[in-house]
Amino acid sequence: MKARETFASRWGIVFAGLGMAVGTGNIWRFPRIVSQHGGGAFIVAWLIFLFLWSIPILTIELSFGKKTRLGVIGAFSKIGGRKLTWMGSTVAFVGAAIMFYYSVVTGWCIKYFFATIFQNVIQKDSIVFWRAFTSSWQPMFFHAAAICIGVAIIYAGVVKGIERANKFLIPSLFLLLVVAAIRAMTLPNALQGLNYIFAPNLSQFADYKMWLNALTQSAWSTGAAWGLLLTYAVYSHKREHPVLTSTTIGFGDYIASLLAACAVIPTVFSVFSTQEYTQQKVMEVMQADNQGLTFIWIPKLFGNIPGGTFFLALFFLALTFAAFSSLIAMLELVTRIFMDAGWNRKKAVVYVGLIGFVMGLPSAFSLGFFNNQDWVWGLGLVLSGAFFTFTVIVFGPGKFRKEVISMPEEGIKVGRWFEIVVWVFLPLQFLATIIWWFWQSYSADPQNWLKINSSSSVGTVIFQWSVAIIVFILLNKIIAKRSDRETNDA
Amino acid sequence: MTLETLLFMVFVFAVCIGGFVYSLYRSSKHK
Repeated sequence: MKARETFASRWGIVFAGLGMAVGTGNIWRFPRIVSQHGGGAFIVAWLIFLFLWSIPILTIELSFGKKTRLGVIGAFSKIGGRKLTWMGSTVAFVGAAIMFYYSVVTGWCIKYFFATIFQNVIQKDSIVFWRAFTSSWQPMFFHAAAICIGVAIIYAGVVKGIERANKFLIPSLFLLLVVAAIRAMTLPNALQGLNYIFAPNLSQFADYKMWLNALTQSAWSTGAAWGLLLTYAVYSHKREHPVLTSTTIGFGDYIASLLAACAVIPTVFSVFSTQEYTQQKVMEVMQADNQGLTFIWIPKLFGNIPGGTFFLALFFLALTFAAFSSLIAMLELVTRIFMDAGWNRKKAVVYVGLIGFVMGLPSAFSLGFFNNQDWVWGLGLVLSGAFFTFTVIVFGPGKFRKEVISMPEEGIKVGRWFEIVVWVFLPLQFLATIIWWFWQSYSADPQNWLKINSSSSVGTVIFQWSVAIIVFILLNKIIAKRSDRETNDA
Repeated sequence: MTLETLLFMVFVFAVCIGGFVYSLYRSSKHK
C-alpha cells in the first residue's frame, strides 16, 4: 500500500476535526434546544453526555481510521471482519445521504449572505422572501455552487485543500461568533437572554426529555458517529492521541455552540423587550424549526438592532463557513471510499461531486423532500453510533483498548473506563434514545406513526434504513473485496 | 441577571475553554 498523505502540522487534524464538528447545528439548533429545555440544567446534562457519548464515539472513530488507514467501509471491514462490512457501508451511506441535502443548506447560507448585502433582506418581509427563494430555481444554483467549491477544495488534496481551507474557515468562524456574541450581549436588555440560557433551574433535572434532548444535541453537534472524523484520521500522524484529540474537538465544538447561543438568544430578548416583551413571544421564536428560526426570524430580529445589516451579513457568513467546513468533510468521506477502491483522488472527487449534485437536486427543489431526508438520515446517526459500538464489542472492548487505541511504544495508554463506556453506557444510551423516540412518535400519532409515505414518521425512517441495510447486506461480499484495494493519493 | 447565573455562565465557559486548552496542551506534550 502506498503511503498516505498526512496533515502537515499538528493543527491540521484539530482544525479539520473542528470543521467537521462545528456546523449549522451549532448555530441554528443549539440555541433553540437550550431555550426549550430549561437553560442551565440542560447545559449540565449536555456537558455530561460529552463524556458519556461524544468523546468515546469520536475516540472510536479516530482509532478506526488511524489504525486501518482506510475510509469508513474499509475500516469496519478490517476491525469487525468482512462479514460486518455492510455496517460500514450503511454508516458511509448515511454520511453520503446527509451530504446530498447538506450542500443545499450550504447553498441557502451563501444565498442569504449575498442577499443581505445586495438585496437588503432586512427590509423585506422575511416569510415572503424565503418562500419566493425556495420555490424558485435559485436553491439548485446555490446547491451547485456549494458542491463546486467543496469539490475544488477536496480536489487540491489533504494538505493544500482540506487543511488549508479549515485553517482559514475555523479561526474565521470563531472570530465571527465572538463578534456576534459580544454585539448581542451589549444590546439593551440582553442580560435577560443570558439569564434565560444560564439560570441553573434544578427542577428540570427530573425531566427525562431534557436528558434525551441533551444526548441527541451532543451527538449531532459533535458529529460523533457520522464517520467523518474516522475519514480525517486516515491522514493523522502516527503519534496522534485519539482520546486527547477527540476531547479537543468535543470541547471546541461546545464553545462554538455556547457562542452561538450567546449571539442568538440575547438578541431575541433584546428585540422583544422593546416591543412589549412577552415570554410567549420569545418561545414562539425559539420553538420555530431550524429553517424558520434562521431564515425567517433572524432577518426580522436583526432588522430591529442598530447596524442590523452588517451583523446579519456577519451571521450568515459564520453560518456559511460552518456549513462549508462540514460539507468538505462529507465530500471527503465518500471520496476516501472511492480511493480505497483503487481510484485516484482527482477522478474520485469529480464523480463524488457529480453524484452529490444530482442526488441533491430533489432536496433543492422540494422542501418536503428535504425535510424527509433530514429526518431520516439525521436520525441515522443513532444507528451509526450503534454500529460503531457493536463492531467494538465484536472485536472485544479490552482488545480494542489495548491494541487499537493504546500504543505503549508511542506513549498512548487508555484506562479501563473505555471498556465500561462501551459495555454499559453506549448501549444504554442507544436503547434509551430508540425507546423514547418510538414511544414519543406513537403517543403523538398512534394512527400514522408507522406510515411509510409520511415525511416525518417512524415508518419512513425504518423503511429507508431497512432498504439501505438490505442492499448493503446483499452486496457485502462485493463491497468488502473492493474496500481495501491498493490506493494512490496522487 | 443574578449572581448565581453569572457564576454558572463563567463556570460553563471555564469548563469548555479549560477542557479545550488542557487537551490541546496535553496532546502537544505528547507529541
